[in-house]
Amino acid sequence: MSDAPAIVVKDLTRDFGSFRAVDSISFEVRRGEIFGFLGPNGAGKSTTIRMLNGLLLPTAGEGRVAGFDIVREQESLQEHIGYMSQRFSLYEDLTAEENLDFFGGVYGLANDRLAARIDEVLRLVGLTERRADLTRTLALGLRQRLALASAVLHEPPILFLDEPTSGVDPISRRNFWDLIYAMADRGVTILVTTHYMDEAEFCDRLVLIYQGRLIAQGTPGDLKGLVQDAILAAYPDRLGEALEVARSLPLISDAAVFGRGLHLTAADPQAAGAALRQALAARDITLERLGRVAPTLEDAFISLIQRAGEE
Amino acid sequence: MFRRLRKIIKKEFIQALRDKKLRIFIFLPPIVQLLTYGYAVNFDIERAPTAILDEDRSAESRKLLYRFSHSRYFDIREYVDSERDLRRLIDHSRVTLALRIPRDFARQLQGGRQAPVQLLVDATDSNAALIVTRYAHAVVGEFSLDLMRQRLRQRGLQGDLSAPVVIEPRAWFNDNLVSRYTFVPGVIAMVVMLVSFMLTALAVVREKEIGTMEQILVSPLRPVEFMLGKTIPFVVIALLDVVLVTAVGVFWFEVPLRGSLVVLFVGTVAFLFNSVGLGLFISTVSNTQQQAMMAGSFIFTPAILLSGFIFPISNMPEFFQYITYLNPLRYFITVVQAVFLKGSGLAVLWPHMAAMTALGLALLTLSVSRFRRRLG
Amino acid sequence: MDLGRTWAVFRKEMIHVRRDPGSLIQAILLPVLLLLLYGYALTFDIREVPTAVYDLEQSRVSQGFLKEFRGSPYFSLTHYVNSYEDIRRLIDHQQVRLALVIPHDFSRRLKLGETARVQAILDGTDANTANIILGYVQGAAAAYNQRLVVERLNLMGVTRLEEPVPVQTRLWFNEDLESKNFIIPGLIVVIMTMVGSLLTAVTIVRESERGSLEGLLATPLRKSELILGKLGPYFLIGLVDLGLVLGLGEFLFAVPLRGSVLLYIALASIFLVVMLGQGLLISVTAENQLQAYQMATLTTFLPSFLLSGFVFSIALMPLPLQIASYLVPARYLVSICKGVYLKGIGLEILWPDALMLVAFAALFILLAMRKFSRKLR
Repeated sequence: MSDAPAIVVKDLTRDFGSFRAVDSISFEVRRGEIFGFLGPNGAGKSTTIRMLNGLLLPTAGEGRVAGFDIVREQESLQEHIGYMSQRFSLYEDLTAEENLDFFGGVYGLANDRLAARIDEVLRLVGLTERRADLTRTLALGLRQRLALASAVLHEPPILFLDEPTSGVDPISRRNFWDLIYAMADRGVTILVTTHYMDEAEFCDRLVLIYQGRLIAQGTPGDLKGLVQDAILAAYPDRLGEALEVARSLPLISDAAVFGRGLHLTAADPQAAGAALRQALAARDITLERLGRVAPTLEDAFISLIQRAGEE
Repeated sequence: MFRRLRKIIKKEFIQALRDKKLRIFIFLPPIVQLLTYGYAVNFDIERAPTAILDEDRSAESRKLLYRFSHSRYFDIREYVDSERDLRRLIDHSRVTLALRIPRDFARQLQGGRQAPVQLLVDATDSNAALIVTRYAHAVVGEFSLDLMRQRLRQRGLQGDLSAPVVIEPRAWFNDNLVSRYTFVPGVIAMVVMLVSFMLTALAVVREKEIGTMEQILVSPLRPVEFMLGKTIPFVVIALLDVVLVTAVGVFWFEVPLRGSLVVLFVGTVAFLFNSVGLGLFISTVSNTQQQAMMAGSFIFTPAILLSGFIFPISNMPEFFQYITYLNPLRYFITVVQAVFLKGSGLAVLWPHMAAMTALGLALLTLSVSRFRRRLG
Repeated sequence: MDLGRTWAVFRKEMIHVRRDPGSLIQAILLPVLLLLLYGYALTFDIREVPTAVYDLEQSRVSQGFLKEFRGSPYFSLTHYVNSYEDIRRLIDHQQVRLALVIPHDFSRRLKLGETARVQAILDGTDANTANIILGYVQGAAAAYNQRLVVERLNLMGVTRLEEPVPVQTRLWFNEDLESKNFIIPGLIVVIMTMVGSLLTAVTIVRESERGSLEGLLATPLRKSELILGKLGPYFLIGLVDLGLVLGLGEFLFAVPLRGSVLLYIALASIFLVVMLGQGLLISVTAENQLQAYQMATLTTFLPSFLLSGFVFSIALMPLPLQIASYLVPARYLVSICKGVYLKGIGLEILWPDALMLVAFAALFILLAMRKFSRKLR
């Protein structure tokens, strides 16, 4: 039992009318790992999560979460998971503590245990001081932490977090991820969706979803390794013009702004570099630096999606 | 099961009572409605505004007018000189009826002939017109009868012209036919429905709108637990409201409460199955509060109109009479009126209670079964 | 005022309304439902009252008296019983609304020229209906009495007997005393209140709840343009409802329309503006949809239904309510409805009512705009 994967999904498919939101996805999540769901908006991440936590029935395919069948054993499954939905979904007109008291009760926690758990999770997310405040008065970052506290009240072995940090400032995001790590350290399996690349780097393993299909999976390193072309980093002085020039070159398959410079994708980095130098010089654009760099996750993301789009 | 239930009930109460405006809305509207309905819904016609056009100005015509001015049903507001003025008064809705005594009234009577008078009634409100006309006919009829007796005596006949058959009205349960006695119990029933039904529907739909529903669905909470937890607070609030409006009905409007409070309570509970069931049903078919309100008014308005509250069911075409059997408010209004005025007990009212319970359970079952444990 | 920008808001609002079949259904279907209910089902006009007869005498004379009831369209003699308990049971179970008790000495007394007393037992739980039924009973008894008196006098040798003072009744404006004739035209008041204030208030609150109002405010749109554009579609819906009431009243229910249609439409439109203004005012005051709904029900719908004279005569209300009714805009439209429809009168008489409506319209729109712009600042 303890070696069995926390989540197993096979050929999971979901249609909404004639639209196929999720197209036969298969993957496994090991116990205790932080598993990332990466993909652009509308790729089918939330739909997949909702099938896994019993909110939506799959059109086809099967899945087991914590050993329970997602179609037939909805209730037992739901006792073993925590879920934080994309939309903030606590009661704004209840206090932090009242919200926890309510959701703990919904999961059937007995009173003394519930009281102890409420203290514990409040301490965990650092909201002990604000426990009597109305939820509507909390800042967004704090609300997200409260939502997380509410999701782990009943100590679920598996936690689903659907874009938990969207709209939150970078510091709050960092703090939130510290909490996720803390949770994973305690052996909780975490499935998290995101479209932030830096967050994806924090995951143990990732799947990349695009237009309902799973187009890649592996560790962040694995995914970066899937990038076939070389990545060149260029730092010209007139960024906008340089980008146009780069895009006009046939040897460069893709060019995008990356920080203060450009990231260029090319099958033959030597030839492409030479061509770029030449073209920029003709326009009187100074090139401060040009060199090959290791692909970032964002490069991998863009390149994998482009490849999937071409297919 | 009970632990989970208790938490939902607690949360619901906190939410309902924390919102200051909502808190007022739970208790204020029932009272306001009872007071306005209690006073506004009134069909007892007294002191109908009356105009007189006396073209004869004789002792005889004054005798007739004296009878009008001393009837409690008429209030003579104006004496006018021409039919044009009469017309004007009625057009301006200043009077509802006018009596016109023609020029040769006294002469005709002295000659032993017929002396007709004219009654002009503004019949735009047919109900009031009908009743007012009847009262006026009674006054003139009596005057006429006295004259006839006088004539017979003059001819030396001893015939007793008192009406051979006299109708003795006995209005059971409401001796003086005070319409407030009819309407106050009806309003109590209506207020119960208004409070429990709309609040339930909106409380559930609001969870859908603000997104907390998803968080509840993902928990192992069972539909029955959720629905019971959602509705019990509103049942309690509705029962409090019943106490409140019943007290106002009894102590303020002085409607006699002849039956037992226990029967009233049983009837209210039986009815609450229905209104709460309807509220839940609406919440299963609506996704937004606006839809719920719309669906609510679609159910609520016909339910009141077809309940016999204002418009008697026996006046309706047969088809609509059958429809009213599906209207829980129909039974409830009957029960409340019967408990108040007739003092009826369960022995008489059990069919109504049974009908309400059956309808209510059917509605609740329907709503629970329609409640989805999943999205989409 | 920029008509182009107003037009843009109006078009956007129209799209909302079109995409939201719910509001459309409420705005169009509910009025139709109400019209059908009031037109067909709801009436105070009573026929065939189920009646029990407890005839203690059971003679030819008592049967002759009952014939007066049998022949009348107002009564239907459904039960013949033998005790008061039976009557009580029938009334308790609502099987009859009236019971006639003929005493055992009915014919003897009549023969002796004495007064025979017939009891009419009524179910007083519905006071109004009981009152109307009592009127019919007395009418039937009076007809019987008249025949009897004529017979008696004939026996005494008086052949020519006339009632000294007959009453000629002229029922103006609604000769057949049909309640639908005053309820159907008045229904527009209730319908316009629902569409104008209830629907509008809730819809606008929804928009500010969702925060899309803020986006509009960042544009150069003026408050007046915004309000005009937002209210436009609901004004149109209200006019459609007005058309429905006019059309169904004319073709389905044959309610006489004696005055000027155009005047009616014009004045009803002013009332609609009043309601829209009130709806807007509520939407500015309320924090959420539930509050808006409650406020609209309490401050517009209830008064329009109860204190307007639509079903319940204002003249019969206690003085404080009568005074309060002057503050209810619906009151003026009801009086206009009855005036134009049944009395066939025009502005020469209705001008005070029309003036009040205009005043209310101006007041509410001004108040709403002031509150609206203050809230937004």
